[in-house]
Amino acid sequence: MNAIADPRRARVFRFVRCTCVRGDAELVYAFDGGPELIERIHFPAAPALPAARRLAFNAALRWLHLVAGISYFKAGIPPCIEVEPGALDGATADLLDDLYLNGLGEFAYRNGVELRGRIAFPRAVARQSEPVSRALDLPRRVLVPIGGGKDSLVVAEALKSIGAAATAAWVGASPLIAAVAARTGLPTLNIGRELSPTLFEYNRMGAWNGHIPVTAINSALLVCAAILYGFDAVAFANERSASAATLEYAGRAVNHQWSKGWAFEQAFAGWVRSHVGADLDYFSLLRRCSELAVTRAFARTGTAYFDVFSSCNRNFKLLGPKPVDRWCGHCPKCHFVFLALAPFLPKPRLLQIFGRNLLDDETQAAGFDALIEYHEHKPFECVGEASEARAALAALAARPEWREDALVARFHELIQPQLPAAGLVLDAWLVAGGAHGVPARFAGAMDAVCRA
Amino acid sequence: MRPWRGPPDCVLAVRKQHLRALPALWRAVFACVLMTAPVQVPLAPDAPWVVLKFGGTSVASVKCWRTILALASRRREEGMRVLVVVSALAGVTDALKALCAYAPAARADALAEIVARHRQLAADMRLARLPLLEQWIASLQALVAGAVPERLAWRAAVQGHGELLSSALGAAFMSANGLPTRWLDARDALQARELPFLNQRARALSAQVQAEPDPAWAARLAGTGEVFITQGFIARNANGDTVLLGRGGSDTSAAYMGARLRAARVEIWTDVAGMFTADPRQVPGARLLQRLDYDEAQEIATTGAKVLHARCISPCRRTRVPLWIKDTRFPDLAGTVIAPQPPEAVPSVKAISSRRGITLVSMETSGMWQQVGFLADVFALFKKHGLSVDLIGSAETNVTVSLDPSENLLDSDVVAALASDLAQVCRVKVIAPCAAVTLAGRGMRAMLHRLAGVMAEFGQMRVHLISQSSNNLNLTFVVDEAKLDGLLPRLHELLIRAGALRTDDSALFGPSWQTLYGGTAARAEAPWWRTGRTRLLELATATPRYVYHLPTMRARAQRLRALQAVDRVYYAVKANSHPAILRALAGAGLGFECVSPGELDAVDAIAEARSAPHLFTPNFAPRTDYAQALQRGVLLTLDALHPLQHWPELFADREVLLRVDLGHGYGHHAKVRTGGAASKFGLPLEQLDVCLELARANRVRVVGLHAHLGSGVLDATHWAAVCNQLASLADRVGGVRILNLGGGLGVPSHPGEAALDLGVLDAALLEVKRAYPQYELWLEPGRWLVADGGVLLAHVTQAKRKGGRDYLGCDAGMHVLIRPALYDAWHEIVNLSRLDVPADVLYQVVGPICESGDVLGADRHLPRGEEGDVLLIAQAGAYGESMASHYNLRPLAESAVIDA
Repeated sequence: MNAIADPRRARVFRFVRCTCVRGDAELVYAFDGGPELIERIHFPAAPALPAARRLAFNAALRWLHLVAGISYFKAGIPPCIEVEPGALDGATADLLDDLYLNGLGEFAYRNGVELRGRIAFPRAVARQSEPVSRALDLPRRVLVPIGGGKDSLVVAEALKSIGAAATAAWVGASPLIAAVAARTGLPTLNIGRELSPTLFEYNRMGAWNGHIPVTAINSALLVCAAILYGFDAVAFANERSASAATLEYAGRAVNHQWSKGWAFEQAFAGWVRSHVGADLDYFSLLRRCSELAVTRAFARTGTAYFDVFSSCNRNFKLLGPKPVDRWCGHCPKCHFVFLALAPFLPKPRLLQIFGRNLLDDETQAAGFDALIEYHEHKPFECVGEASEARAALAALAARPEWREDALVARFHELIQPQLPAAGLVLDAWLVAGGAHGVPARFAGAMDAVCRA
Repeated sequence: MRPWRGPPDCVLAVRKQHLRALPALWRAVFACVLMTAPVQVPLAPDAPWVVLKFGGTSVASVKCWRTILALASRRREEGMRVLVVVSALAGVTDALKALCAYAPAARADALAEIVARHRQLAADMRLARLPLLEQWIASLQALVAGAVPERLAWRAAVQGHGELLSSALGAAFMSANGLPTRWLDARDALQARELPFLNQRARALSAQVQAEPDPAWAARLAGTGEVFITQGFIARNANGDTVLLGRGGSDTSAAYMGARLRAARVEIWTDVAGMFTADPRQVPGARLLQRLDYDEAQEIATTGAKVLHARCISPCRRTRVPLWIKDTRFPDLAGTVIAPQPPEAVPSVKAISSRRGITLVSMETSGMWQQVGFLADVFALFKKHGLSVDLIGSAETNVTVSLDPSENLLDSDVVAALASDLAQVCRVKVIAPCAAVTLAGRGMRAMLHRLAGVMAEFGQMRVHLISQSSNNLNLTFVVDEAKLDGLLPRLHELLIRAGALRTDDSALFGPSWQTLYGGTAARAEAPWWRTGRTRLLELATATPRYVYHLPTMRARAQRLRALQAVDRVYYAVKANSHPAILRALAGAGLGFECVSPGELDAVDAIAEARSAPHLFTPNFAPRTDYAQALQRGVLLTLDALHPLQHWPELFADREVLLRVDLGHGYGHHAKVRTGGAASKFGLPLEQLDVCLELARANRVRVVGLHAHLGSGVLDATHWAAVCNQLASLADRVGGVRILNLGGGLGVPSHPGEAALDLGVLDAALLEVKRAYPQYELWLEPGRWLVADGGVLLAHVTQAKRKGGRDYLGCDAGMHVLIRPALYDAWHEIVNLSRLDVPADVLYQVVGPICESGDVLGADRHLPRGEEGDVLLIAQAGAYGESMASHYNLRPLAESAVIDA
């Protein structure tokens, strides 16, 4: 084994190879001539791949290799990227450049790193004709990635409501997600993913670390799974506000959830159609909905999940019976989900879900201020737009059972008078709108969410 | 007369003395011979009655019925007339209830299943002809065939058949096995009252009975037999319909029967020995309550204990019939006796309990309290929305009430609607989710001064309401539900330490749940000094003197090193920096956690310790301390922003650990709690991001997170909880490889306290480690390693009797051992010179220091002592010598070491 050198001093990041044998994939990377970083993916009980889908799977696996490399690339950000099985076609290289640049936007901001000039995927010198994929005749089944939070559960329930043949899928070992997935009553698929342990070594040496666009990696994984197991659709649960930028940095918009945004969805869905399978649909069922609309849908259709789900970003890997085992109560996700559910649930029920009342806790003022962009910028989390949070608070300020709670009263007295009343109408947020990529056969499910 | 067939008392005496000592097989044979004896001495006409009640799980198998037979036989042998009250076989009442709701087609199947179950049990009992059982089966079949599900009377009649069937089986089984038993229809004895405040549903399904003593009926019954069996749960109303007695109905039936017969007692036989001082699932150290008066029992049953339904107490109280709770598995164990109690000399808290899911409604107004009828108007709104109020607290401008949890509250808009209505007349605030913590016991107000520790615990949280009833039986605190985790075990321990829960009164408090049912895992080992008396008396030539037993300390170190989940153990040097101890623990492979340059010096003065890993964890230390530690190359822990804000250059390119405050503290005393907003330790979580930013900006590498919440923690899962919290934080920090879970491993001191179960601790940590394999786990205990390995020897100086109290003075005082004065710590004290003399004097053991607080042990039972006797104060190996002072200009204690 080669001695480990600091990846921040590396000159080149190499995509070494990727293989998949009987459902076990290896994605291999390296910095310069350093040790191989091997990420392992496990597709459980993988069926033999029909010959007709082999090319498509190889294309999807290669994409996965390229996308998953971002976890390792970011440890060193070397100036040069090498893709060893050969150069990429222009469209693929463009999409990767985009993904790496935008997906690492928050990472760059937090670490004070300049990415420009360091992300250029090699493209074929000769003008290479882009591959044109064929229809794969995949079975009419849909994969629903489950994250443990409310959004994917709204999608699962909506798909159930139209009788779609859905399978709940998730990546990695998480008892919490497993419990939530089991609660859907759908068939389940748990894809194993193991980062290279060498990455932890690098981290201990002080390698760059931070946020990566994990939705892009999960999307790539699920597209592989769709071809392997036979699904013609992958239905994500990214809503409208995911497209909003978190802040501006060095003249560029930084969006914590860039890979959950419409731009990425559109680009990736197109790439899948052109490079993998013309009849494989990748989309977000919630694209036309606001966070508040999704939350309202969850309050109505998600009752079965109240005691298991969690959107909290503290990495709770162990399942405990108590709300504090699922909700840290301090992170922006906890703040937002609490606030967004409040207008749509009986107060005692909401407080039972969280085990405490975050809006009656003065020490949480700064967190909620950040959410509504009062004094602070939007937090780096997947949370709703500030205006939605303000509308939710305004709704609570008008409700006798909420208005005496410390932070609601504070909003009412201190902040609300500074805001134009027109922007605080809750109902305005419950109307679906905007572009989307939902195939016609799932329109019923999309309507079910909006109606809920 | 054969020898074992003597007068009843004699038989009982034989059995009590010998039964438990006999091998199980012989015990069974002996019991069988007794129970199947064909000849009975006839009972006197005025023989006392006893009512024995058995629940669903106690009647579900032949084995259960053998137990019932044995117990009924024994009471009969004791010269009592026996009435056995039984529930339906486990699950049958629920099945009948479900059957009532089924569609007609499904009812037949459900019925067939119920019938088959009883016939199977009859077959297991080897009973052939059962006319009574068949009669009730036929009766049930007829009822189901002519179903009128909308009629409450029909439903009650169907659901009441479970008891009719089980009691019919029981009568046949007992009679066939040598104990002639008459079947009695409970409905002939229990007449439901027509109470105006009960609705139709309650009248049919949770009826009440006026159970007045009826000597004539009792005498008539006595004329017909000696042993009877009847049904729990059912009675009859004025129309002749069967009615049910609601939840816990069989207990209530037994109480009614006991009252009507004016029985010598009612015995509730179940699967636990009685009521405990707390819910044993939360507090394994909860003690059996051996004696309660009716009011206390009622209070405890209402506020938490599940073993007995609160409704069954009042019939017994009215007629002063004692109520016993007994465990069928330990028939000789005293259990709980609820009976009129003599007025107690010393009041004690009897139990502590909690209820979750409580919603508070706080109503605030300034102008209206003087208005007549304001409260009536407010409460009318609660009535309008169908909400019943439980606790009430009031002030001049505020009334706060509590609502018990209900589905209605959680799933409907009732709270919003109520708040809207209330908002018309006052400012309203809905506070939830809350939990009510209740201390119960007669004479609560006389104990308030002892509750300082309890109050301090509540001082850490928001208390929304305190309620103390005028009957002086309870004290209830309503707090945020999130604060309830682990609270009950802590309060239980605090109450014992404060002498508010007088577990030293062995007549009142029986064994702990853990001792009875918890296996042997957590039992404390016998201390080393029990066998080393001669040696210790030799060492007591000069006192006060600490004596340290190194083998005990090494053994402790080995046990920690054997934990699979823990990668490294640091000894917290502050507990005791004696060179011999440092050498021994270094030899056992421990690292050293120091909090001052002096401690670092002490460790480095020992060759064996110098090369062991060091950790420097100071708090509010001057800059020079950090600089010195860094110069020595010691890994250090920061617990504030200040060092990184003001001396960042010190730490540049260094690795550090961060001590975070997870927001709450634990421990046996406020002064040993080191977590939570009220403690000076740790970086609050809300400053973590700022701190990491500072670290990043100054090239300081945060390689570990540390939390230490307090000392004396006996809950073995505590460290796993801390680890889980730290790990979920560390994943967001990045670059962290170490989680230091602190120390605080508790050492039990009070009699009956269970030791920390290291197996449980390890298993719980391993579970967390499986989820977060990338982190090294460190522990840094002090007291757990060395406390038990040290004792303090002292000579008795003087004795004094004053104000009705006996004082025993010795030459060791608070200058030598300050823990009792500082933390109210409890150290066992024995008179080493008189180990075999009965401990029959209640002493205040005091030192020679001019302070009222110089008390080493209050209210200790010791033999009468004399000047020159040697006292041994146990568990003095930690924070004894290291906290000693020259106060009063008395010299420091000497120390000696035993190493073999």
